[in-house]
Amino acid sequence: MLLEQVEYVRPQSLDEALEILANDDGAAPLAGGQSLTNVLKNRVASVDVLVDISALGDLAGITRTADGGLSIGACVTYDELDRSAEVRQSHWMLGEVAAHIEDQQIRNKGTIGGNCCLSDPTNNLPPILVALDAVMELRSRSGRRSVEAADFFKGYFATALEPGELLVSITVPQMPERSGAGYASLAVGADAKAMVRAAARVTLDRDHATIVDSRVVLARVAHVPTRDAEAEARLNGADATDDAVRAACAGVADGMQPITDVHGSSEYRRQMAKVMARRAVDQAIAAARGGRNGSSAGGN
Amino acid sequence: MTITSAPVTGEATKTWSGRSMPRKEDGRLVQGQGAFVDDGGMHGQGYAWFVRSPYAHARIVSIDCGPALAMEGVYAVLTGEEAKAMCEAPFFAIAPPPGSLMQEWPLAVGKVRYQGDAVAVVLADTRETARDAAERVVVDYEPLPAVTDGVAAAEPTTPLLYDEAGTNVAWHGVYDYGDVDWALENADHVVKLDRLHFHRFTSSPLECNGAVVNFNRGTGVVDVLSNYQMPMFAAMVVGPTIGVPMNKFNFVTKDIGGAFGIKIGFYPQIAALALLSKKAGRPAKWTEFRTEHMLSAGHGNERTFLDIEVPVMSDGTILGLKARAFDDAGAYLHYEPLGAVIWSQVVPGCYKLKHVRVDYTEVVTNKCPVVPNRGYSRMQHLWLVERIVDVVAHELGLDAVEVRKRNYVQPEDYPYETPNGCIYDSGDLPRSLDLALELAHVDEWRARQRELGTGSGRRIGIGIGSTLDSGTNNFGQSRIINPELPFSGNGEAAFAKLDLFGEINVNLGTTPQGQGHETTAAQVAADILGVTPEDVTVSTGFNQANNSYVGFSGTYASQFAVSGLGAVMGAAQKLRHQIVKLAAFALQAEEEEIELEGGTARVRGDEERAIPFIGLANMVYTNNAGLPASLLSECDLNARYVYVPPFEVPDTVAKTGNLTLTYASQVHVCVIEVDEETGEVKVLEYAAVDDCGKRINPLVVEGQVHGATGLGIAASLYESLDYDESGQLQEPSFYEYHVGTAMDIPDVACGDIESPSPFTPNGAKGMGEGGGAPLHAVCAALQDALGGGGAVVSESHNHWARVYELVHREPGAPRGVEVITRSGGLANDAASL
Ligand SMILES: Cc1cc2nc3c(=O)[nH]c(=O)nc-3n(C[C@H](O)[C@H](O)[C@H](O)COP(=O)(O)OP(=O)(O)OC[C@H]3O[C@@H](n4cnc5c(N)ncnc54)[C@H](O)[C@@H]3O)c2cc1C
Repeated sequence: MLLEQVEYVRPQSLDEALEILANDDGAAPLAGGQSLTNVLKNRVASVDVLVDISALGDLAGITRTADGGLSIGACVTYDELDRSAEVRQSHWMLGEVAAHIEDQQIRNKGTIGGNCCLSDPTNNLPPILVALDAVMELRSRSGRRSVEAADFFKGYFATALEPGELLVSITVPQMPERSGAGYASLAVGADAKAMVRAAARVTLDRDHATIVDSRVVLARVAHVPTRDAEAEARLNGADATDDAVRAACAGVADGMQPITDVHGSSEYRRQMAKVMARRAVDQAIAAARGGRNGSSAGGN
Repeated sequence: MTITSAPVTGEATKTWSGRSMPRKEDGRLVQGQGAFVDDGGMHGQGYAWFVRSPYAHARIVSIDCGPALAMEGVYAVLTGEEAKAMCEAPFFAIAPPPGSLMQEWPLAVGKVRYQGDAVAVVLADTRETARDAAERVVVDYEPLPAVTDGVAAAEPTTPLLYDEAGTNVAWHGVYDYGDVDWALENADHVVKLDRLHFHRFTSSPLECNGAVVNFNRGTGVVDVLSNYQMPMFAAMVVGPTIGVPMNKFNFVTKDIGGAFGIKIGFYPQIAALALLSKKAGRPAKWTEFRTEHMLSAGHGNERTFLDIEVPVMSDGTILGLKARAFDDAGAYLHYEPLGAVIWSQVVPGCYKLKHVRVDYTEVVTNKCPVVPNRGYSRMQHLWLVERIVDVVAHELGLDAVEVRKRNYVQPEDYPYETPNGCIYDSGDLPRSLDLALELAHVDEWRARQRELGTGSGRRIGIGIGSTLDSGTNNFGQSRIINPELPFSGNGEAAFAKLDLFGEINVNLGTTPQGQGHETTAAQVAADILGVTPEDVTVSTGFNQANNSYVGFSGTYASQFAVSGLGAVMGAAQKLRHQIVKLAAFALQAEEEEIELEGGTARVRGDEERAIPFIGLANMVYTNNAGLPASLLSECDLNARYVYVPPFEVPDTVAKTGNLTLTYASQVHVCVIEVDEETGEVKVLEYAAVDDCGKRINPLVVEGQVHGATGLGIAASLYESLDYDESGQLQEPSFYEYHVGTAMDIPDVACGDIESPSPFTPNGAKGMGEGGGAPLHAVCAALQDALGGGGAVVSESHNHWARVYELVHREPGAPRGVEVITRSGGLANDAASL
C-alpha cells in the first residue's frame, strides 16, 4: 500500500478518543495529517490505528479567556489562526507566523496541535508559542494537566506527551501592555524549511525607551525551541535602541552546538542565530511601540 | 514571473511563421486532457517497484526473494544476476577502453555502485503490493569504501568502482588548439586560478520517469509506452542487450511532463522492465517516485577545473585558456563520456580565444549517474569561460562590459571559425549586451550601488552571463571520444498527409516536453499549404510503428526549429507539390498557375477555376478510376521528408570539425542584492536577450527563455545535489532540495535580436536549452558585489552560507587567484595575435 495496512477510527467525543488511545499503544492521533501521512508514506514510522481527532468539537475553535488571553483548540488550522480577528487583535504575530507556513493547501489542513506535537525542529509555531509563554493543556483518560510551552518540547520529534495523552488546547496569556512580538527566519528559497529562526517578545517601559521584559527563543539551533536566558537578561533593563539590542544579541547561541548540514555549518548557524535574534527583537520593539501587540513585518 | 512581451514581428509578413500565437496544445494540457505516461496502461499489466541499494558502494552477498514471492499478489521478482542471464550483452559502451570495461546491465550485478542502484525489480497486482514486496526482498550487502570526489577518483590509490577496468578514469583526452604555451609566455599578464567547481543539480521535471513495457513472448514484439525523450537511443542501447531487433520494438511516447535531457537516462529501467515482463508473461508498469527520481534518475554533470591559466594582454584581450577538467560521471556511463566532447562545441565561448588547451578527464564515482541536463556539458565549460572573463576584468581592474565587448566575436566576423573548426553562424553579441544592460536598467543600478557605498550591510552586484546554445549536433563528434563509433551527422523525419476529406496531418518523430511543437509545426506547414494553423493536425510523440523516424529522432539538444521544422517544411513542400500537380490536372492548367489558399487550389486570376482539397483527396483515395498512372504514382498525398544537416565527419586526431550547425546566443544581465549579515541573495532585476535567429513563434521562444532562466537562477542559489563521505545523497527529496518556484524567480525582461542563420532552411537556430547564462550572470553579480580584491567566486552554487563566507573572507586568506604581470610582453600589440 501507499501506507502500510492501518486502521482508521473517527471517535465522536474527546472521551472516546482518549479511551481508544489509552487502550491501544499502537494508536496515534491524526489531526491535519500533513506530517503523519507523509511519515507513514515514507515508512519511517508505523501506526496500527489512526484516531482522527480533526472533527472533535472539544479541540476546535478560538476563544477569549477571562484574563484577555486566547484559548486555541488543538485542531485549529493555520488558516483559521491567520484569519482569526481575535488572534490578530491580541497576538498579531501568531496569526502572521501561521500565515507563512508553506502553502494554502497545507494551511487549510495543518493544525496548531499537530505542529506542536510533532516537534519537528523546523516547524514554525513552537518558537513563537514559547516566546508568548503559551501553556499546553493536556488530557488523558486519567486526567488533565498543563505544561508550559517551554517545557513541552523535549527533543527531536519528542514532547512531554505521555502515551494516551492528547493536547487539547493551547492557552496564550494576554501580552502585558507595551509589548510586541517579532519573528525572523533564514531559509533557502521562498517558503522553504528554515535553517535558523528566532522569536522574540519584549515589553517596554512607559516611555518606550527601556526594555523591561523579554523573551528570546531560538529554533533549529538546538533540537527544540530554546530560550536564551543570558540574552534575555542582557536585554532586560537595556535601552530599546539598535546598539543596545545589537550588544545584547552578540552573545546569542554561544555555547550551543547548532547542526551542520548542506545548507550551512554549525558556526554559520550560530552567527545567523545572533542575526535572527536581533531582527526578531527589533521587530518586537517596533511592534510594542506601534501599540499593536504585534508587528507589521516578519512572521516568515 | 510576468511576461514582458516582445514586439511581434511576424504579423507584418503575413505569414503564420514568425507570429506570437498561443500554443495549440495548451488547451488540452491545462484542462487535464493530456496523455502522460501514468495515464496509460496495457491489458493485464502488473506494477513494478525497484529494490534499490541503501549503500553507495557494496558487494551484493545474497538476495532472498522468498519473502516477497510468498506475498499474495506478487507475480515475479527479477534480480540482477537473473537479468544478466537473460541478456545477450551488457549495454553498448560509447567509450573505448578503459571506459568500455565499465559494464552496465539492466540491474546491478555483483556490486552496487551508488545509493539508489537497482538490485532487483518486483512485479505485483498493485503498485502498493509491489512496494510492500520490494521491502521484503532481503539483500545482504557488504559495504565498500565510497568514492565521492571527482578529482580524487582519478588517483591510483583510490578504491575502484570497476576492478575489471583497473581505473576510475572512464576517458581522458587533451584538447589542444593554437599554441597556449606560446601565449602564456608572451602575454602581458597571466591570470591563474587554482580551482573552479561546477556543481551537481537536476532539472526536476514535474513528471518523473515512467514506462509500461510488454514483452510478447509469442510475437517477440516489445511494446514500450514511456516518456523517454530520445526513444531511438534507448532502442539502440536496449535492443542488442535484451536481444530484440529494431523491427520488433515499438517505442511510443505521448505527452511528456518535462524532460530537460534527464529523460535520456532511464534505458536500464526500460530494459529491466522488458525482462521482468518476459519473465512474468504480462506487461510491467512503472511510475517513478520523486525520491526515487532524485536518487537514481540522473543528475547533471559535475565538473572541477584545476590549474587554470589565462594569457591576457594589457588592453584586455584574452588570448586563450589552459585548464585541467575533471568531470564526475557518477557510477555508470549512461550517455557518457559524450559530455567529454560535447563541451567542445563551444571551446572559446562567445569570445575570440585562439589558444586553448583543456586536459579532460572523466571519472566514475559512487554517485548517481549523470545524464544530459539542459545546457548539457556546454554549460559547465561556458561557466568556466565566463568566470575567467569576469575574474580577468576584476583582477586587472578592467570594466566587465568592456572586456566582454573587446573579446566577443564581432558581428562582422560571422561565419566565425573557432580554433577547433566549429562555425559560429551569425549573431550580434555587442548589441545583445547593450540591449540587456538597458533592459536591466544597469545605469540606474550602478548609481544606486555607488549611493549605497559601504556600511549599509547591503551590497548590490551587477553581472553578465554571455553564452551560446549550440544546436543540431553533428553526431560525428562522438568519434572524437571513440573513433570506432558508427555515428555522424544528424537528421529528423516528418510526414505530411492530405487525408480523405481534405484534412492536413503532420506527423513528427519528435517528443516535445513543452516546446510547442504542435504549434510551430502547424505554423510552418500552414504557410506552405495555404491554410491556417488550426487546419493542420500535428501528431507529435514518437511511435516506432506508425510515425516517421530516423536514428536521431527525439527532442533534445536544441534542434527542433532546425531539424524538426526542416523536416516538416520538406514534407509540406512535397505534399504541396503533389497537390499542385493534381490541381493542375483537375483544372486543366499549368502547375505554375496554381495557388493554394484557404484549403482550395485555384488558378491564379480565375475565380471560377478552383477545387477544394477534399476534391483532390477524393481523386486519389476514393475516385481514382481514369487518373493517369503517372499522376497516381507521383501523388499518393503522403509525403515523407528527412531533413539532414550538412556535416562532415570531424578529424578525430586533431579533435576538430564542425560539431553543431547553429549557435543561438544568450546575453543575460542580473542585478542582485546581498545581505552581508546572512549571505542571502535577492535578484532585484533580470534581463535576457536571446538571439536564436528567425523566431517561428516568439511567444514559444520567450517561454523557453523564462524556463531556462528560472532553472539557472535556482541552480545558482538553491539547488544542489551533494553526497556525504559515505555516498549518501543529502538532498533526496524536496524537503532538502528547494526547487525554485514562481515565488523565487524574478520577473524577466526579455529582449530579442534576430540574426538569421545562413545554414538552416528557415533562418532559425535551435534554442531552449540556453547555455546556463543565469548561473554565469549570478556568479558575476556576486563577484561584482564582492568588489576588486575580494574573494573569488569559484563555485557555481552559492547558497547563503557560502556567500556569507565570501563576504566575510579573512583579510589575507588565500584567494585562489594570482596575476603574473610581465614587462615587455607583446607590448599591447594584441591585433597581431
Ligand atoms: C510539504 C510540507 C511542508 C511543510 N513545511 C512546514 C514548515 O516549513 N513549517 C511548519 O511548521 N510545518 C510544515 N509542514 C508541516 C505541517 O505544518 C504539519 O501540518 C504539522 O507538522 C503537523 O500538523 P498536522 O495537524 O497536519 O498533524 P498530523 O500530521 O496529523 O500529526 C502530526 C503528529 O502529531 C500528533 N498529533 C497531532 N495532533 C495531536 C494532538 N492534538 N495531541 C497529541 N498528538 C497529536 C500526531 O499523532 C502525529 O504524531 C509541512 C508539511 C508539508 C506537507
